[in-house]
Amino acid sequence: MKKSILLTKSNLQGARGQTAAVVALIFLGAMMLNLWLMLSMDYKQNFRRCHERLNGEHVSLAVDGDQEQMREFLSGILEEDERVEEFSLEPAMQMVGLFDYNGGEVNTNFVIMEKESALGRPIGRAELIPQEKTACSGGREDESTQEDGQSSGEGPRKAQSGVYLPMLYQSDEIAVGKTITITIGGNPVAYPICGFFNSPMMGSHNCMLCALLLTRDRYEELEKLGYAPGATLCGVRLKDAAQSEQFATELKNAVSASFPQAYATGNSYALVSQSRFISQMICSGVMSAMAFLILLIALVVIVSNIFHYIQENMKNLGALKALGYTGRQLSGSLLVQFSILSLGASLAGISVSYLLFPLVNEMMISQTGIPYRVHFLPLPALLTLAAPALTVALAVWISTGRIRRIEPVTALRQGMMTHSFKRNHIPLENTSLPLQSALALKTTLSGIKHNLTVCITMLALSLVVVFSGLMTENMIVDMEPFFNLIVGEVADSCINVGTDIEKDFLREMNGDKRVEKIYPYSSLAVSHVGGLELVTTICDDFSRVNNQDVVFQGRFPRYDNEIAIAAKYAGEKDLAIGDEVVLTAEGEERAYLITGFTQVSNNLGKDALMTREGYERLGKLWNVSYYLNLSEGTDVDAFNREAKERWGGGIYAAINVKATVEAGSSVYVSLMRAIVFAILALGLLVVVFVLFLLVRTMLGSKKRDYGIMKALGFTTAELIWQTAVSLMPAVILSAAAGLTISALIINPLTAVFLRGIGIVKCTFRIPVGFILAGGLGLCVFTFGAACLLSLRVKRITPRAMLAGE
Amino acid sequence: MKETLLKTEKLCKSFSNGGTMQHVLRNIDLELYKGDFTIIMGASGAGKSTLLYALSGMDMPSVGAITFGGQAISGLCSDELAVFRRRHCGFVFQQICLIDTMSVMDNVLAAGLLVSQDKKALAGRARELFTAVGLPEESWRKFASQLSGGEAQRVGIVRALINSPEILFADEPTGALNSRTGLDVLDTLTRFNEQGQSVVMVTHDMRSARRGNRILYLKDGVILGECDLGRYVHGDMERHEKLSAFLTEMGW
Repeated sequence: MKKSILLTKSNLQGARGQTAAVVALIFLGAMMLNLWLMLSMDYKQNFRRCHERLNGEHVSLAVDGDQEQMREFLSGILEEDERVEEFSLEPAMQMVGLFDYNGGEVNTNFVIMEKESALGRPIGRAELIPQEKTACSGGREDESTQEDGQSSGEGPRKAQSGVYLPMLYQSDEIAVGKTITITIGGNPVAYPICGFFNSPMMGSHNCMLCALLLTRDRYEELEKLGYAPGATLCGVRLKDAAQSEQFATELKNAVSASFPQAYATGNSYALVSQSRFISQMICSGVMSAMAFLILLIALVVIVSNIFHYIQENMKNLGALKALGYTGRQLSGSLLVQFSILSLGASLAGISVSYLLFPLVNEMMISQTGIPYRVHFLPLPALLTLAAPALTVALAVWISTGRIRRIEPVTALRQGMMTHSFKRNHIPLENTSLPLQSALALKTTLSGIKHNLTVCITMLALSLVVVFSGLMTENMIVDMEPFFNLIVGEVADSCINVGTDIEKDFLREMNGDKRVEKIYPYSSLAVSHVGGLELVTTICDDFSRVNNQDVVFQGRFPRYDNEIAIAAKYAGEKDLAIGDEVVLTAEGEERAYLITGFTQVSNNLGKDALMTREGYERLGKLWNVSYYLNLSEGTDVDAFNREAKERWGGGIYAAINVKATVEAGSSVYVSLMRAIVFAILALGLLVVVFVLFLLVRTMLGSKKRDYGIMKALGFTTAELIWQTAVSLMPAVILSAAAGLTISALIINPLTAVFLRGIGIVKCTFRIPVGFILAGGLGLCVFTFGAACLLSLRVKRITPRAMLAGE
Repeated sequence: MKETLLKTEKLCKSFSNGGTMQHVLRNIDLELYKGDFTIIMGASGAGKSTLLYALSGMDMPSVGAITFGGQAISGLCSDELAVFRRRHCGFVFQQICLIDTMSVMDNVLAAGLLVSQDKKALAGRARELFTAVGLPEESWRKFASQLSGGEAQRVGIVRALINSPEILFADEPTGALNSRTGLDVLDTLTRFNEQGQSVVMVTHDMRSARRGNRILYLKDGVILGECDLGRYVHGDMERHEKLSAFLTEMGW
């Protein structure tokens, strides 16, 4: 062991530059790995912790109607159900509403509660967020700071009367002391913003229920105004949280069976715990991919370095073996060397990841709306230390097998040749290539391991380029493909009308020149008997909807006994096209034939489509949402306002769909911008590291040749050109292959990441132009970087070569 | 009257060695003439190789001027010197210095193509030279590392001559060879010199020095003396004695 350590010391001293580059790669990989592990392992745990600390509900249900009767009914059911651990029933108001957010609109179902009663709920209580910090540090302390109505710390002056919003919406525009206009049931109401709160189950528009807390005076005022009907808010804690989805479906079915006209909205722990972490899931997915790619490249570089080291030091290794060193000791020295490097670099990576984590955390909090306190996580750190160290050790041990096998005499005779003599690649006499290019190509063809390293790096980076292009094209430049996939259907306006005025409304809209297309597109909750609740969208003719890609397999339903169902749900329930499912709503049960599979992430893969006639076999429609495509240049908000004025109470909601969707998606877009920027920057950094190692190794092995060439009259510029060009065939070919393969697999690969939110088949547009430009840019960048890194050729002088330096 | 090919004035070369300056060449004024076979002799550490590198543009002088055919080369940058070397100079090294990963023919053409793009003509000249140095045809396609020392040095000579240089520099070309192959190499150089090729050769071997017509003796960085031997004639004892006397006088 002592001998191995001595050899290790000598190896490290002899290859400082390579050591630094390998350390840098492992450092970057470990940093990404630890960030990914922290994101993927602790964020959901944090949700669970927050949920537990606030005694969060596993099932929430807000039901309009006679509160006394509803409370009695729900109490009866919940008391008898053995799965229920505890429950609470509180008065609230419930109404669809909207407010401006992030340049668009948040449009969702609001549950409006009196602040003090929301903070004191026995189940699912809310906690106020101190304005100077977003860390989740214990609830009560936060409440006391805020409850007295004093401004916290040096924060802005807080209003005594107004609204508290979910912390997800905290932004420059929506801040304490400012005023927000919330349209509740079509009526705009302005409230001073008093603060923000955390509610795991009702803290986002992704939760189906989004809470708003009003101070007592504002709550009573809204009750008097009658903009939002009174409702009963039911919070249920189950003995087994895994049953939340099933229980939520059954509870809602029970309510709709007994109170067919009562408007009920609910959510479950299973749904919310997924929907609030979509951003975190995307971010950690990308980070994991980057971490693995960088570590893979680091391994390739290490293996390549070891092969090079063996070739360069064959004589020395032979001498050491002749002196009595065993192959294991020699391999061991490299093993110790790289293990020390790996552990050191991983430790540094872990440390830096903790410096970066607050930034990532801030971004994640703005996406999830759940406070998170950065703290040391031993398990991710341990895994980050162990994974690179073990894989590096394995790679080193395997690649040093040649040292263990070779006999000392063979090694002393330079036993292994550095190149093959079987063939003279590119004979200068016959080639039509210019001299410098021909010599560069000779170098290329004699350096298979270098080419392999370049190829693996370029293949990985091609995937990064294609992914960046895909996200830029489909999420940043033109969001339509993203909307089509994630949101499903997008039009200019959505107007929800009562069925009593439907015919007149349609007649007028069809006569309005600004309306290019109008079609019904209403979503309702329908339960699958023996399964879960499905958000079912109804339309009289699906051939008229804008997004014809929602059904990606089979076809849209055409008849009243047909249904298209979410592929994710179908997979979970083992349902195939042609199978029959029994659905229930409003106490009725009907069978439907599956005609196709859909994919929309709105309800995390629990969606269905059916015709209007199909739904009417189950129950009556009281209102219908119409989607409208308006002519270019039409002011959608003005159009909606006009419609509301014209039809008054007959219109329940008029939504600017694109603005709403854009607001909802803005968090993803900003996240994706950051991810695209980060992975491109990281990718280029990796290219530079790998090139640095390759060029350094090449110059090391060609020092003598280049010295001879310089003596013969080759200039430094010619040798730099040769070095850089010798890398280009592998760069160009692997980039071309990598970009082509990546372009072919990127949609299926993205679908794998998005499977959790119900996307089975991605149909993102492949940005051919971006990919070609990216590929060209990658090649040019690589060439430029290789030229710059090859400037070391300057240091090679014929005099030094002849003097044997 | 001999035509001056290369001229130095007050040529000095110093190296820093552990903080102290070591003056290897001191104020050397020298003229090399076209068609001469100039021999630079001296004891180890006298500065023979350093002078050769400076004369050939392989290294830059610390002080002083070198002019080649009227053009000052001492002020050229390293890349300009490289272009100068490829156009005007040929080199034969003691360590032979062929590129092992290239075939014999490619080693020669890599140097030739730096000056001429006419591959056919270059390949033809290479074949002529290979034949002239007695390298069998089956060796032309071999890799450099597959050759014996004598064969490799003959390839080195062909490579040095492929561009028909105005001056051929040879740094102890027989130093790494056995006696027989060393003699073959000297015969080859002598033959090319007889055909008009100017040669400057560094050696500390009297047998090699005998091939030159002008002997320069270097000691402690200065030219201590020079001897005109006249053209080489095989077995000329008088010439041999003259050289011996000169070297004895120089303290050899």
